[in-house]
Amino acid sequence: MSEIDAIDPLERLLNLVALLLDHGRPMTFDEIQDAMEGYEGSKATAKRKFERDKDVLREYGVPIETGTTDVLGGEIGYVISRDAYYLPEIDFTPAEITALFVAAQSGTAAAAASTAVRKLLYGADGGILSGAGGGPLVAGADTDAETVAAAADAAASRRRVTFGYRNAQGVVRDRDVDAYGVVFRRGHWYLVGADRERDEIRAFRLSRCTTRVADTGDGSSPPTGFQATDHVQGGPWEADAQDRAEVAFGDAAAALARSRFTGWERLDRASERRVILSLPMADEETMAALLLQFGPDAEVLGPASLRALVQDRLRDLAEAVDA
Amino acid sequence: MPERRGVVPTTAERLGRMLVVVPYLVRHPGTSVTEASALFDIPAEQLRRDLRLLMMSGLPPYGPGDLIDVDIDEDDEIWITMADHFARPLRLTRQEATAVRVRAAELMATPGVPEAPDLASAVAKLDATLGEAPIDAVSGTVAPPLLDEVAAAAAAHERLRITYVAASTGERTERTIDPESVFAELGNWYVVAWDDGAEDERLLRVDRVERVESTGVVFSPRGLQGAGRPLYRAGADDIVVRLSLGPASRWVAEYYATTAVEERDDGGVEVELPTRDLGWVAALLLRLGPDAEVIGPAELRERRRDMLRRTLAVYREQPGEPDV
Repeated sequence: MSEIDAIDPLERLLNLVALLLDHGRPMTFDEIQDAMEGYEGSKATAKRKFERDKDVLREYGVPIETGTTDVLGGEIGYVISRDAYYLPEIDFTPAEITALFVAAQSGTAAAAASTAVRKLLYGADGGILSGAGGGPLVAGADTDAETVAAAADAAASRRRVTFGYRNAQGVVRDRDVDAYGVVFRRGHWYLVGADRERDEIRAFRLSRCTTRVADTGDGSSPPTGFQATDHVQGGPWEADAQDRAEVAFGDAAAALARSRFTGWERLDRASERRVILSLPMADEETMAALLLQFGPDAEVLGPASLRALVQDRLRDLAEAVDA
Repeated sequence: MPERRGVVPTTAERLGRMLVVVPYLVRHPGTSVTEASALFDIPAEQLRRDLRLLMMSGLPPYGPGDLIDVDIDEDDEIWITMADHFARPLRLTRQEATAVRVRAAELMATPGVPEAPDLASAVAKLDATLGEAPIDAVSGTVAPPLLDEVAAAAAAHERLRITYVAASTGERTERTIDPESVFAELGNWYVVAWDDGAEDERLLRVDRVERVESTGVVFSPRGLQGAGRPLYRAGADDIVVRLSLGPASRWVAEYYATTAVEERDDGGVEVELPTRDLGWVAALLLRLGPDAEVIGPAELRERRRDMLRRTLAVYREQPGEPDV
């Protein structure tokens, strides 16, 4: 601690918060200097110290605002509005707080989430730790928390954003989007918004952004009835279409197929060595690709067009690799 | 003292913590130093030191009646009075509110998370108080049928006998495992376990556990890393596979753990995949077709050719008449 800091800087900061919360009206720097310890010395030095303190407080979310004081001539002063400072009462149950605690601890470390939940702990009864200990945790999305937060913030304030984006085919292009919402699905975060160039609502996987999501101004409001989740497509395993494929699997492969495809049904005509499953399919091209990955452990029984497609694919590959 | 940087919290960090911890202590008089230190992740000594400082703050003219009163009694319980200004916590910053909702969405989108219903109601209360946020989650999957059994065994350190189907080899195996930790990542549930037969640690997909039999044997955990670990860990016996993939197959680089990814000029990529087993890679190559080229090892080309021949053989017969 240097000689100038006769008191611990933490004490000075706490006193400053208490003073500005208590006063209720803007105080000039002179008034602050008179009222509390810690800003002694030359005016310029003291003011610089005060400016640094203000930055620290703002960094931690303390809403210091400037306003006109009631001193004659209307000097600029500083105030902390109680309404802006205090967290409204939220009546969480202990189970809810525990769940929030578990959520904040999950995933990649996000200090902001931990701080948020610790602020919310205030309203909880004791015994939080006993509930939160040892439970299963969820780790990981494919996108860092800052990128998701930037996209969510943009959506919340209806901002227009630009970012570099690599599509599934590997083509990189700049996108210009009015942000409407973010959606998490199977480990991926998506930004949903109006693509201004294409003039339609699209979902962008945030892990495919090649640059930061940059705010470029006011955006627009989503159309009435907009649901962000409607615009995020399911993966190929999760088709819920009416079309179905009938496939004979080896016994172990059938177990894998059941864990991969949603909406499978087992058909009765199982032979001794094979299990026949009926699987929903979105389109035959996709289905053929998924089934080829089972190699000789899966045989498409129907429809005939799908069976023919799989055979074509196999022949194409045989030609290419000279098998 | 630069060597201690990162250990000693800055004044700003200490302030941030005080503004969060003090309201809790005011609202919950008699909280012990140990409990507060664990809840707020502050070392006990640091907490004591900062609370002593708190006693020196207050309002002008800073006489005895104007200062915050902090008492840590002989039972190590904390009692704070005269702290009206810090009796309620600071609002969540926008970043904090977003961060907690982002985490909540990730948890709620994972089927089988026991906290999900409480989390949903907690988020609804946040929305009602702080305003709604445009953050949604879709689940898309169902929880593995044996998740509860495996998680309960992990919590109780109970050895299990399981039937497991490995995607890498396509084989069904009987294993004896010591399950240490159960977690979800990218929508799938995993169990980190010591595999008794392999005498090594294994990361298993819970949805591929077909049968669980309890053994009644309690094991001592080895401290295997759970949530947050890489899904693939390099081993000494790894084979390094190099593939050149066309644009339509570049999803492989996003989906599987790679050790190198190089862009090709046409939007495709060259990837380096470490693996213990070539079987699943050969199967993947059947799916990718001529769009994927094997750079190495040569054995993989052989495996692909072999698997291709056997698959073609399946289709040479009439439907449903296997000759393999």
